[in-house]
Amino acid sequence: MADGHRRRIVLPREPHAELAAVPLVDLLGEQVGFSHDTLAEIKLALVEACLNALEYGQGEVEVEVVAHADAPARLEITVTDHGAGFDASVVPQPDLTAKLHASRKRGWGIELMRHLMDEVEVHSTPGLTRVRLVRKRKEA
Amino acid sequence: METFELKLAHRDGRLAVLEVGGYINNEAGEAIAGTAKTLLAEGHRILLLDLAGTRIINSIGISLLLEVLERIIEVKGTLAFCCLSPSIAKTFQIMGLAQYARIFPDRPQALAALSVDS
Repeated sequence: MADGHRRRIVLPREPHAELAAVPLVDLLGEQVGFSHDTLAEIKLALVEACLNALEYGQGEVEVEVVAHADAPARLEITVTDHGAGFDASVVPQPDLTAKLHASRKRGWGIELMRHLMDEVEVHSTPGLTRVRLVRKRKEA
Repeated sequence: METFELKLAHRDGRLAVLEVGGYINNEAGEAIAGTAKTLLAEGHRILLLDLAGTRIINSIGISLLLEVLERIIEVKGTLAFCCLSPSIAKTFQIMGLAQYARIFPDRPQALAALSVDS
């Protein structure tokens, strides 16, 4: 694969760090023909993955974005952190009615990722969590 | 990064319109929630958030918008949104927000509908 179709960044530990990788999605997504509306959805999912990694991870948070031009054209994003890890299978599906009556209204990140992307995989063990997000380009 | 901006664009009786621009994260969400709380204390009961200038929102910002929605429901008011980008519209649809908030394509349609309510 050409180097131009793969980019990696370590998120800075500073305010708005969750946005640092967003330009990579625009750069690589446009190279393989994604629409701006689809890229906007991918960016929302990426921001959620980065927020989780920054909040719960330790050490470096690394984001890799790969654009696959071969059919089906797709963007593949991997967000890696080194936190305590978690079991994504037991993260409850948020319910708006319940959230409106709850003191904690957060907990939408994984749900949003699952709806905004075609594939969401979480591999997590103590010290290493990888969230892999894939979105395929719809053919015209 | 898009700089967050919040402007009280219109107020008339029960209705108040806030223009929101830029990234809605925790800080922006808290600013919106604080302004909404003030507007409710002043007697406004219909709050329209015009998101024409917003292209990205995160789940922390969303959770703070839910606090606004909770407060408005408590006073039997209405929270409405207009001018959503397609990705934010999809985010709200995933959450099921239209069950509790009104969503309009543009501000004139929102004002026409909400003015009748007010």
